[in-house]
This record gives sequence, structure tokens and C-alpha cells, in this order.
Amino acid sequence: MSAQAPCKLKASDYKSGTKPVWCPGCGDFHVFMSITKAVAELALPPEQIAVISGIGCSSRMPAYLNCYGFHGVHGRALPLATGLKVARPDLHVICAGGDGDGFSIGGNHLLHACRRNVDITYIVMDNEIYGMTKGQPSPTTAPDFDSKLAPGGPGISPFHPLVIALASGANFVARAFSGDPNGTTKILVDAIRHPGFSFVQILSPCVTFRPDQREWKTKVHPAPVATTDDAARAARRVMTDDGFNIGILYKGAREKYAQTVGKHVRHERNVDEEFLV
Amino acid sequence: MNRPAEEFYRYFTMAELLVHALVIELEAVHSYLELATQMEECGNDPVAKLFAKMAEFEQEHADKIREQAGNIKLPELAPWEYRWPGFEPPENIDSAGIHYLMTPHQALKLALENEMSALAFFEGIASSNTDERVYSLAEEFAEDERQHVAWMEEWLAKYPAPDADWDYDPDPPVAID
Repeated sequence: MSAQAPCKLKASDYKSGTKPVWCPGCGDFHVFMSITKAVAELALPPEQIAVISGIGCSSRMPAYLNCYGFHGVHGRALPLATGLKVARPDLHVICAGGDGDGFSIGGNHLLHACRRNVDITYIVMDNEIYGMTKGQPSPTTAPDFDSKLAPGGPGISPFHPLVIALASGANFVARAFSGDPNGTTKILVDAIRHPGFSFVQILSPCVTFRPDQREWKTKVHPAPVATTDDAARAARRVMTDDGFNIGILYKGAREKYAQTVGKHVRHERNVDEEFLV
Repeated sequence: MNRPAEEFYRYFTMAELLVHALVIELEAVHSYLELATQMEECGNDPVAKLFAKMAEFEQEHADKIREQAGNIKLPELAPWEYRWPGFEPPENIDSAGIHYLMTPHQALKLALENEMSALAFFEGIASSNTDERVYSLAEEFAEDERQHVAWMEEWLAKYPAPDADWDYDPDPPVAID
């Protein structure tokens, strides 16, 4: 019997067949396409991929993909993904969600996921709004963004996810734009390949509650500087850029999280005997 | 993104030109089918049907290019290795122009823009390339696109431009006044 190379799947093979219910024109359609293209490019078998999400428009992603998936509770995608990767290190674990889920409800989990540096890829589709619940300001909404739900704007400094990720120890940090699906695919391929915690912020317009974001396509531009392995330099760059630089900003060389469970032998006690009166 | 300089178009080989032409059509099929589904989900049947028809039309073009390629081995490129003047192949609909209440007139205008972008792409290759075979094939593709532009214009003329309040929704997504 001759050994045969596995047949490479097409991007469309990674689609579950469930029709997405995002609004027509939503950036998440393109992110969905980029994810399928990236895993097809990496020739990952569907049974070796797990996509974990929380709650929100973009967190519907697992339902649309033909691989393992878990649609978890709000803001808790990262703890779920971390637990899964530690228990099943053989799986490629991808976490997907939005800016509200990831930076507000799940904000604290982001810090510690970066710090732990477990080998997972976290994709945040950032539209600077809570779209699913009709347009409340999110942590990345500009302070002066005036809306019916926040007249005059939220008036609070926006969260800076890339700087936070760098400061917390993420091993790979990038910004992409959904309207550049092929460029996004390349970034996702690199993010999945890179060991440790990879964080990709994807600017993904909400055409319903932020129609102004249709103009993002004219604002984004490739980062004018090369990827650095110096987290402080990367942080300085993103603190001072216009928010529309796209590309891989930082690639670190930190050791990914290594499982320590089992190194210290724990002697099981016989509880029944101990409490026997 | 601005139209690229002449230099951008110069170094296309026959196989590269063919694979680019094929992918333009295949991605357009995918893009139109996806938009048809999106519009169907929103109950915008006239535009859903139009996009589905466009997908059929692009599939026919793709089949024709496959025939033209014959036995030429096409290169296997990663998605980011294709050379497009913008972020995506020229016949992919720009999602910034999509609206759930859009009319067939607006949908056809987007499709017409796409055909014109594809025409500019092939004209750019034809006018910049010194290889006779590449020039001829690019000119042939450009001629096809000119024909598509003419069809689109004819088709568009059958649909009136929408009224000023075309996007009025009595029950809009932003429900809090």
C-alpha cells in the first residue's frame, strides 16, 4: 500500500453550511472568509481545529465553521480556550469575538491570557460598538461618538487593545482590516503558526450602527515599519499611530506556556476514612 | 486605493494572467452568492435574485477561462500572493456599498463598477506588457470585459434610480428614539 499525501481542503470546505445572519455588508463576513482561507492554507484538518467564542455578533463564528466549536458565555471565551488548549495541546485553538466581549466583559481574561502565553490565537473583530444589543458604546468607542444611546458620546478614553496586549505579554500582536481579506489571511496564518498567545485585532465595520466605518477602507494603510521583536518599541509605535496601521506589529520569542500539572505528586486522601466518626 | 503604476502590470506571465483572470471570476461567483444569501435573509428578494443571476454569469466566465487555459499549468498561489490593484480582485463587490434595503438599480451599479475595474485591470496588463502572447490574451480578456460593461449598462437602464428615501425603514434597527 502506498502512502498518499492528504488531500488539501478548499476554504469552502471549512464552512458549516449554516447561513450567517450578520447584516449585509458587515465586516465579519470577510473575517469569516479570511479564517477559512487561513486554515485551508495551513492545511489544518477540521477535526484538529477548535473555535471558541463568547457572546456578540462576531461570536457567532463557531456556528459557521466546519470544525469543533464552542459558543460560550459572555466574555469567557479566553478561559474556555485556555482550558481546552491545556487539556488538548494537540488541537489548534482559535478564539474569536468582538470588542465588547473581549475588552469589557472579558477584559481581565485578556490580560491574563496574554500573561500566560498559552498557544492560542485570539481574533477580535473590533467595530467600536455593541452591535448585537443595538449600538451601545464599547470600550473602544471614541469619547465623542454621539449616538441615541450615548448622547454627546461616552466621554471616556478608549481602551487601547494592542498596547494592553503588548504590556501584558502577548507573543504576537497584529492589526488587520476586514476589507483586506487576503492581507488578513496572511496575518492569521502567521498568528496561528507563531507559538504562544497571538492577538489579532481586526477592524471590522458595523454597517448598521456605525455607517461612518464604511470609510475605513480609505483610511487603513500598511504599517510603515517592519515587525519588531521589541515589545516596548511596538507599544510606542501603536500609542502614536493613527489607529489604521495594518500589519504584524510585534513577534516575540517568549516560551509558550508549558504544562506543569503532574510534576508535583499529590497524595490522594481517603476522605471517607478521615471524616469517619 | 489608487490605480497602480504601469510597473505593477508589467511582469505578468501567461500562466499568471490566466490564474488571475480565473480567480477574478471565481471570487466574484463566491461574492455574489454570499450577497444573494445575505439579501435573501433580509427579505430583499429582487436584489437576492439579481446577485444570484450575477453569480451564474460569472461562473460562465470562469468556465470559459478554464477552457482557454487548456493544458497550461496554472500556478498555485496563496491568497496574498495575487497581484490586485486594490485589496480584493476587481470584480468583488465592495461591501461598503451594500445595504439591506438597496434596490436592483444600486446593485447593478455596483456590478457595473466591478466590470469596469476588471476592464481597467486587463487594459493595464495589455498596455504595459511587451510579451506578445500576454498582450493578446490580456486584450482578449479586456474585450470580454468591454462586452460585459455594455451588457451591464443595458441591464441597468431597465431599472429606474431609487427615490431619495430608498433607505427609509419604518422599523429601523436603532429602535430607541
